[in-house]
Amino acid sequence: MTSHRLTSGGRIDRTKTVRFTFDGVRYSGFAGDTLASALLANGIRLLGRSFKYHRPRGLLAAGYEEPNALVTVIEQGVREPNIRATELEVFDGLVAQSQNRFPSLGHDLMAVNGLAGKTFSAGFYYKTFMGPAIGPLKGTRFWRFCEHFIRRAAGLGSAGTVPDPARYERMNAFCDVLVVGSGPSGLEAARKAVAEGKSVILCETEAALGGTANWSGPDAASFAETLISGLRDNQDVRLLNRTTVWGRYDGNTFAALERIADHKAKPATGEARHRHWVIRAGHVVLATGALERAMVFPGNDRPGVMLASAALRFARSYGVLIGRRIVVFANNDSAYETAAILHRLGAEIPAIIDPRPVVGDWAQSLADEAGAKTLPAHAIVGSGGDPELDSVLMQPFNLETGKLSGPKRGFACDTLLVSGGWSPVLHLASQAGTKPVWSDKLQAFLPPEGDDHWHAVGSCAGEGIEPPAPVFEIKAKGDKAFVDFQHDVTADDVRLAHREGFQSVEHLKRYTTLGMATDQGKTANVPGMAIMADALGKPIPDVGTTRFRPPFTGASLGALAAERFADLRPERLTPMHHWHEEHGAGMMSAGLWMRPESYNQPGETVEDAYLREARIVRRGVGIVDVSTLGKIDIKGPDAAEFLNRVYTNNFAKLAVGKARYGLMLREDGFAFDDGTTWRLANSHYLMTTTTANAGPVMQHLEYFLDCIWPDLSVNLTSVTDQWAGAAVAGPKSREVLAACVTGTAVDNEVLPLMGIVHGKINGIPVMICRLSFSGERAYEIYCGAHHGQAVWNALIEAGQPHGIQPYGLEALGALRIEKGHVTGAEIDGRTTAHDLHLDWMLSKKTPFIGSVMLTREGLTDPDRWSLVGVISSSGEKLRGGSHIVEGTKDAPGRSLGHITATCLSPLYGKHIGLALVENGNTRIGTRAFATDPVRSETHVPVEFVSHHFYDPKGVKMNG
Amino acid sequence: MADRRSFVADPVIAAHAASPLQGLKRPGEFGALTDDGPGVFLTERTGLSIGEVASWKDSEGKCRVAIRAVAGVMLNVAPGSGTAKLEINVFNFAPGRWLVAGTKPDLVAQLAGSVGEDGSVTDLSHGRVVIRIDGPKSRWVLSKLFAINFANTAFARGQGLATMHHDITALVQRVGEDAFDIHVFRSFARSFWSLLRRSSEEVGYRID
Amino acid sequence: MIITCPHCGPRDLAEFSYKGDATRTRPGTASGDLAHWNAYVYERENPAGQHREFWQHTGGCRKHLIVTRDTLTHAISHVEFPPTKAPRRSGA
Repeated sequence: MTSHRLTSGGRIDRTKTVRFTFDGVRYSGFAGDTLASALLANGIRLLGRSFKYHRPRGLLAAGYEEPNALVTVIEQGVREPNIRATELEVFDGLVAQSQNRFPSLGHDLMAVNGLAGKTFSAGFYYKTFMGPAIGPLKGTRFWRFCEHFIRRAAGLGSAGTVPDPARYERMNAFCDVLVVGSGPSGLEAARKAVAEGKSVILCETEAALGGTANWSGPDAASFAETLISGLRDNQDVRLLNRTTVWGRYDGNTFAALERIADHKAKPATGEARHRHWVIRAGHVVLATGALERAMVFPGNDRPGVMLASAALRFARSYGVLIGRRIVVFANNDSAYETAAILHRLGAEIPAIIDPRPVVGDWAQSLADEAGAKTLPAHAIVGSGGDPELDSVLMQPFNLETGKLSGPKRGFACDTLLVSGGWSPVLHLASQAGTKPVWSDKLQAFLPPEGDDHWHAVGSCAGEGIEPPAPVFEIKAKGDKAFVDFQHDVTADDVRLAHREGFQSVEHLKRYTTLGMATDQGKTANVPGMAIMADALGKPIPDVGTTRFRPPFTGASLGALAAERFADLRPERLTPMHHWHEEHGAGMMSAGLWMRPESYNQPGETVEDAYLREARIVRRGVGIVDVSTLGKIDIKGPDAAEFLNRVYTNNFAKLAVGKARYGLMLREDGFAFDDGTTWRLANSHYLMTTTTANAGPVMQHLEYFLDCIWPDLSVNLTSVTDQWAGAAVAGPKSREVLAACVTGTAVDNEVLPLMGIVHGKINGIPVMICRLSFSGERAYEIYCGAHHGQAVWNALIEAGQPHGIQPYGLEALGALRIEKGHVTGAEIDGRTTAHDLHLDWMLSKKTPFIGSVMLTREGLTDPDRWSLVGVISSSGEKLRGGSHIVEGTKDAPGRSLGHITATCLSPLYGKHIGLALVENGNTRIGTRAFATDPVRSETHVPVEFVSHHFYDPKGVKMNG
Repeated sequence: MADRRSFVADPVIAAHAASPLQGLKRPGEFGALTDDGPGVFLTERTGLSIGEVASWKDSEGKCRVAIRAVAGVMLNVAPGSGTAKLEINVFNFAPGRWLVAGTKPDLVAQLAGSVGEDGSVTDLSHGRVVIRIDGPKSRWVLSKLFAINFANTAFARGQGLATMHHDITALVQRVGEDAFDIHVFRSFARSFWSLLRRSSEEVGYRID
Repeated sequence: MIITCPHCGPRDLAEFSYKGDATRTRPGTASGDLAHWNAYVYERENPAGQHREFWQHTGGCRKHLIVTRDTLTHAISHVEFPPTKAPRRSGA
């Protein structure tokens, strides 16, 4: 293979050789090369296989619009697929692979798909695999059979399964003006904004700032250089290269991806690979330029067929001459200049083929300069070469009629440059919902006129674009003519969609998948619309264009999401967290909180551990960390009135120094949350909520104070984190407190159930409330969170003589099931106070939130679910979520309810549970089955009992 | 409101107090350090008394006066205004709500006395952890975490605000040229500290 | 989307929680009119165009706001705090 590198020129550093591997072969390039330019320089033009037909493909473009040359980059075993070779900057040690070839790029077995072209035409999947199975080779069942093979044969690159070790981060930014694109008009817009005293962010998707100035000659380059250095020195300007603005959202918020380390073998210390910028801009200037379109003709995808602008970029930016003998096919003047330049660099240009009947003077002089023969009123009708281009076929063409006639002539060449006109890159305007405007002159959609929030400049606004002839497709017989290269959509597919009744462009897009691949149809959309318009017999603007949606180009999921997952997912830890870990606790997450599951002793299973822990609470004394309970400080002259309205039961009459169990309903009358609230002073309450509901309860209360009862003087503050809490529970709990609490007595007189006292433990102020979740005599001890560990230690020490042991969530759960206490599993948003046997808490005198709605017929139906206890009659384990049924395993009958919580009862040694069951009240003493047909396939006979398995009269906790 | 007992704070008793960041605050310089020194300095501000003052709907002015009497600082009416001094920081973070943090052990009790029935005072000395980030790159690091404009022109010295980083609620006050105090819930402190360290690695950081 | 909180200034949508239709009138606390309650809890207009909604600035000052938003364009034309009433000052 001969080198295509020119002896001079380009923005590459020829002193720095870079070595990389492509498909297992080692190559070298220069610093500043992309994978595409380096491979081209090495004479490699076949870079991938196409999506459906596995046709050999080379480069069409030189930038982010490239549809064909997608590669997979492999770094430390991590595969990143679908990287455009035209954007991938080479570095020492880069390993890249071509995609969608099997078994190798040169010999692809699937290329036979190309021979079965009709089979894979538009709508193939819908037609073949949707709907009922009629015969063996149709329908959804057939899809299930074929899916594996199709997924292997079709599609783009495959993602890896190895965890990605790279670092990603987010960056928030604010600016008066965001400029997207750093070509001459973007730079000029930035300069103007800065001169007006505005803060500016300028984003450029490429490594080098300057855009087209980098390949349109020395004058443009020096103009850009001056502007860039002026901006670089200004502290109100942030220049972001390698940064693609890919999304525009409401409120002029923009999402951009900065590729910080993709071009490096290894990121620097602490450096992210990608940075996800969220930019809030007062105004955005779209200087995104325009993209050259390909022409649609048979065999237009053969490696060696390339956009004229791409050849210019490869020559000027990378010093790579794309071919030796180059034919040009253009419907506008822009490619003539490229021909002249390439000729100066050493290429032979035998002909410029132009569908227009007349070539203008300027174009003709450029063609003369290029030494090229011009062939007006001609078109390319085919290409030859296997797999790379070695010849093209042309024929006289009538622009008026679009018809070909006369003899075909062949031209030997290694490259065909095409130019089918230019499309402004208006994605960011379209994403905001503006409707593009068709320009007949430019044969392109232009962004509409801007407003306070945005405007377009330069070629994005249609400035300086060479007007093309209105021809997008050369309808010639022969090979496939591609519109969307990346998704292998042909002109015939578009016409087929039309014949099958698809009229709207949005439907066309989805049916043919035109423009739906990773390149989002950047080079394909306008030709596709044009062919559709032609088929419909309508002008293009009447057909319209699809609305563009984010992302403009792919954004890494890591950059979008990594900071919320894995080790970066925030955790809430209690003040005693490390003690739990040091004492063998397995920690489990409860929302964001980490809580001890059980403190397993050597050789113990979780079940062994919780049975032991719970039995210690029943017989002796245990201690559990309850710091995670939601705690809300409620203060104000109207606090009592507020709580009376919020809770179903009365809190105004609660004495200072006492706590009360309270139930809250939602506006619709269903149960919402329960907890105890303590009256600490006349107008000061401390509300506790369940751990999971702390946030929602706070919002519920805030809503009523802000929006419904603004006349109430009540302030709420979350004090969840202010207080560390430990519950000491068990028959011997009072002895533990008596041994360590000073400043107050803790006997039954001073501290009865629901009583509150203030005292000290080890000199640390504590507040003690006598409450019981387990059904045993129990106390909750609260202190300032920074003192939590010290108080916990003192309680453990005081409990040593009584054999105190810590217990975790599993034991807590078992104890509450035995006691029949409800939690979120029962207060699940579908249950009422009646269902849960909490109707004794409903005030009959005072209205409260939900008091009227709970009287609705459906909420008072006697057949509703209600809470019962269940015991496994067979000794088999019960599964939470099992359905209660009356029938056998084979004919279970309908579900009568479900099990909400289960445990092996520490007290009875039986498998027990709580359940919500239709007519539960009337079923006590009867039997049924708990069935779990999908997961464990168990069908366990159960007996219904009262949900109070333990001490229904509350003698223990009151004693 | 006869009974004020419950308003009286439990001052942090140094001998018994444990920072949630224990074990994570190894002093030293970390990350990508350059000759210019660390990009940021991270410190936990310990031994603070922290109180939240909240007015009723018609008593904002009275609360401002009451805070001034204890803190000795003028408070502006503008949303978010505050003052940062060596021994006391005050800022408004919500309508009628101020955070007061200082080194006086009885600060919260003093505030409760001064505010009286014109509002409520809640002790948060144990419930919040205050982390200071200072240094030339503080704004860059904070911008990774918060969707807040930290530019000098947008965020005046002394000013404070409430915001969040995903699930982590934070109050932020600008306390110096490049210095910001971040108040986070105690339970989130370890996660937040780790996040801050990670975000600072790129610019080099020092823990004192 | 950006909502300009009257206290905190412009902030990202992520800091706010949607809290429903702000055009409804809640029956008085003492009202026992089930039909009225039912309408309040369940019936919504769902207009295409201007709408008044409650949003809470949960990731900021935590205040509720009344946001006037065009449901077709997401354009926000007005943001205010809900009206306050004179404190009731019962003998607490």
